[in-house]
Formats: sequence, structure tokens, C-alpha cells
Amino acid sequence: MELLPQALMDGIMLGAIYIIIAIGFSLVYGVMHVIDFAVGEWIMLGAFAGFYLTEWTHVEPMLLLPGVFVVFAAAGYLFQPLIHRVLSGHRGNPLLMGLVFTFGLGLMFRGLAQTFFGFYSHSIPSRFSNGSFFLQGGGFSTTVSSVRLAGLVYALAITGILHYLLKHTDFGLGVRALAQNRDAAGLMGVDNKRTSAFVYGIYVGISAMTGVLIGMILSLSAKMGPDFTIFAFFVVVLAGMGYLAGVPAAAFLLGIIQSFFLIYLDPGYTLLAVFAILYTILLVSPRGLFGKGV
Amino acid sequence: MRDRRLAGCVLAFAATLLVPAVVHDTFLLRVFTEAVMWIGLAVTFDVLAGYAGYLNFGHSAFFGIGAYTTAILMVRAGWHFAPAAAAGGAAAGLGALVAGFPTLRLKGAYFAIATWALARAIQQIVLMMDITGGPDGMRLPALLSPRFFYYVMLGVASVTFFAYWFLLERAPFGLKLKAVREDEQGAKALGLNPTKLKIQAFILSAVPTGIIGGVFAYWVTFIDPASTLGDLVSDQALVMVVFGGMGTLIGPVIGAVLIFAFKTLFWAYLSDYEVLYLIILGAVIAGSVVFLPDGVLGMLPRRKEAGNRA
Repeated sequence: MELLPQALMDGIMLGAIYIIIAIGFSLVYGVMHVIDFAVGEWIMLGAFAGFYLTEWTHVEPMLLLPGVFVVFAAAGYLFQPLIHRVLSGHRGNPLLMGLVFTFGLGLMFRGLAQTFFGFYSHSIPSRFSNGSFFLQGGGFSTTVSSVRLAGLVYALAITGILHYLLKHTDFGLGVRALAQNRDAAGLMGVDNKRTSAFVYGIYVGISAMTGVLIGMILSLSAKMGPDFTIFAFFVVVLAGMGYLAGVPAAAFLLGIIQSFFLIYLDPGYTLLAVFAILYTILLVSPRGLFGKGV
Repeated sequence: MRDRRLAGCVLAFAATLLVPAVVHDTFLLRVFTEAVMWIGLAVTFDVLAGYAGYLNFGHSAFFGIGAYTTAILMVRAGWHFAPAAAAGGAAAGLGALVAGFPTLRLKGAYFAIATWALARAIQQIVLMMDITGGPDGMRLPALLSPRFFYYVMLGVASVTFFAYWFLLERAPFGLKLKAVREDEQGAKALGLNPTKLKIQAFILSAVPTGIIGGVFAYWVTFIDPASTLGDLVSDQALVMVVFGGMGTLIGPVIGAVLIFAFKTLFWAYLSDYEVLYLIILGAVIAGSVVFLPDGVLGMLPRRKEAGNRA
């Protein structure tokens, strides 16, 4: 039982990471109606960008985050028209084609990463990695490394900023309008192409930053992508598709489940357990944990 | 038009029957056998992808379920090959029924990731269990008859192909499935039951995949989680279908032959650059979507049909 608080803390940490990944993921789905299969690969590329930048410049990786965001957001912004073209062309089944396209991209990214970055696992050294806090209370005690705490703060900050962006700015209004009805939003003067490109850029930037963070807290390798793609998807489905408010609860739930499996049971069964939960949820309530999805 | 195509297929099938009579080189016959296997896997993939509009990234799961069921029944229970392979197909079908029931309610994109996760979960189970040999894999009794396996593989693949042809191009089932793909609400309004149809399509796709998996297991005599349940099986099937032409039966066959020929040459000359293959697969997928939305088949001149295609 002495591990319980530790397991909970780790779970909350992981959950915080899943929140940011899943929010970007569902934003893109809401606006572009495409599930980006390459989400895990953007995370992986971001992580490697952070890794090499830290190695070359010896700058604290936490300080590199804004730079990584800007570069990747620009890349995403420039990249989006290609996806847009696939989705809006005269193809039999544009949504399916969009899916196939991002899947192909993901495969390509993974292959390229394995070619250039090798097969080994790395981790990004950070000054925060050394420090830790010792929390005690009510007979329980746990240590929280400061890098994990920094990660949690970062995740909450990103969530807060996105919340503000979506609910309190004209840009956010446009995004929400697009998600509700693309044609009507267009008639009201929302530039579909531009807004989509911005959203995609923001999403890619955030994913890449999260990758750096994951590289600091956990580890990074060229093969890390698919796991995060799958977990982002799990969170979104558990929360209910398109129901952003459900994302945090679902993400924390998954994070805690995962950390419990890591600590108490066999980590090899994690994916199986998560899949079993997803399966049951879908059987009982296909619209997510809160029944508010689409 | 359709009949002429069918006649072409029958002719091509007759030609493949003669392959072992012409090809005496064992290695070459193995290559042909594997080509036939990939044709089977691509066609089964396309039932769900092209006709129902659902991408099944867990195609490898059903291939692996078939392979492992066959292997376990043959090695641990001493069954004969034929009933074991049939049981492999049945197990794959059962898997599709169980997995498809909740996941096929999801929109296409979510189904794709759900099946992908399923495949990974199954891979994990196989790695953990004793009966499957875990990461060490399983060894099957060897039968050294390349011709036997060529004909078995050809038999499974061609029965599947012609059964699909009848079901999807002749019987109302294909039309119903296309109706659901194009407009699920509309199909419902016409009195169709989309979930049931999709599950039927899923099972229709999984059963032959499982049998092919079983034949594969007996043929190569050694299976492990990576070779039968790995992502590469699904990825290659997808590439073949997209490159060849999704939503047709001939497209995946063409795609399978071309991609497999490329793969064979690639591994023969460039096997040092293993990862390059992944990049090329990805590039072919993405490139086909952008430049060849109807696949290679779409580039061939069409008669009559071109007009009434919506």
C-alpha cells in the first residue's frame, strides 16, 4: 500500500500528458474531420528535435519548448494544405482517404526517424531531473521529481491557454463554428482553409512540445509514436467524440490505470486492460463515459 | 463488361494453375506462393476497406489468430492440417464478431485505430501466454512439398476471390454494403441494418484471412508474434489495396502483384536497408492517395462504366 500515492501521482502525470495530446487530436478532428494517424509521429519528431537541440546547445530543454513549438507549428501550418487537398478532392471517400494518407505519412516519418535517429532509446537531460519533492501527509508519503511536476504545470498551462483561445477569442469562435457546421461557418465569414491550417499548426506544435516533455520525463525512441497515437485515441473515445470537457477525466483515468498496471501488475497487460475498458465502455455507452459524445 | 472481366479472372486463374508445371525452381515457387497469399490478404482487406468503408488496421490480428489457432491445434492437440486451418478461420471469424460488435458502431476513423489497438493487444497476449510459446514462437511439423502449399494457397485465395465476386458484385449484399458506405442514415431509412451488414462484412473478411494465416503457419513451419501479428501484415495489405484500387476486387489483385514483386526485388537486392522499405511503403500510400485516388486500376481506360460512376 505504500506505493499507492506514488502510483496515483504517476497516473496523474501521465494523464496530464494524455490531456494535451488528446485535446489537439480532437481539435483537428473537429475542424478537419480527419483523424491524424501521424499524431504519435509528430510527438516523436518533436522529442528528437528537443533531444538534438539540447545536445548541441546545452540549453535547459524546458526553455527550448517555445522554439520547438514555433518550428513545428510552422511545419504543420505549411503541411495542412496537402491534407486539405486530399480531403476536398473528388475522391470516392474523402474521410477514408484522409485516414489512409495520414497513416502513410506516419509510416514514412517512422521509417525516416529510424533511418536517421537509429533504434536506440534516449532521454533528454534536464536540470529539473535531479531535484525532487517529498510529500508527506496522512500516513502516506511520496516523492515527486521536479521534472514531472514541471510537466504537470506545463500540461495545465497548455490546457488553460487552449481553453482561453477557444472560448474567448474570435479565432476560437471560428474554430468552434467550423466544428459545428462547416458550410454555415463559411457563410458567416470563417475562412475554412486558413483556420484549419492554423488549428493544424497549433496541434502539431503542441504535440511536438509534448514530445520534448515526454523525452524528459520518460524516454524517446524512433518507435515511440504508435503507442501515443493509440492512447490519444483511447482518451478521445472514452471522453466521447467531440466532447472536449470529458477529455481531462478520461485522460486521468487512463493515466492512473496505466500506472497501476506498471506498479502492481504486469506492464505487458496494460494495453490489453485499456482495450478491455474501451470495449466495455463502447458496449455500455457508445457515446463515451459521459454519454455526451457524437 | 463485368462478365468480360470475370472471364479474364477465370483465365488468369487457369494460368496460375499451370505455374507449378512451368516453374521447377523451389525458391521461385515459394515466391509465387507468397504472391498468391498476398493477393488473398489484399482482397480480404478490401472487403471492409473498399466495400464497407472501414479501414481494418487489425488485419494482422486475424491473420495471426488463424496462424496461431492452426499451430496450437496441430502441435498441442495433434489435429490434422485441414480441420486445424478451418478452425483457424472460424476463430478469426469469431474474433471479428466479438471485436466488430462494439467497434463497428464507431465512425470509420475510430474503427481503424480500435482495430489497430486490438491487433497490438492480441500481440501482447500471444507474447505472454505459454501455449503460444511467447516470444519464442511455435514450430510446426514440416511438410516439404512446395507444390502442395502452392495449390492450397491458390485454392483458398481463389475460392475467396470468386465467392467475393458473387457476393459483392452479383448478389444484393454488395449493393447493400455500398449503400451503407455511401450514406449510413440513408441506408437505414431504406430498411437496412448497417451494423449487421458491417459485422457480416467484417466476418466475411476475417474468415479467409484466418484460413490463409493457418496455411501460412503450416507452410513456413515457424511462426512468432512479429511475423504473423506485426503491423507489417496490415500495412502491406493496405498499400496493395490503395495502390491497386480500393473498392474493386481486381484492384487489390493488381496491387498485390505489383507491390509484392517490388518487395521481392527489394529484399533480394537491398535487404541491408530494411527501414527504407517502411519509408517506401509510407510514401507509396501517401502518394497513391494524392496522385492515384482510384489506384492503378483507375488509370486503365474504362469503357461504358465511366459515365455512370458517381
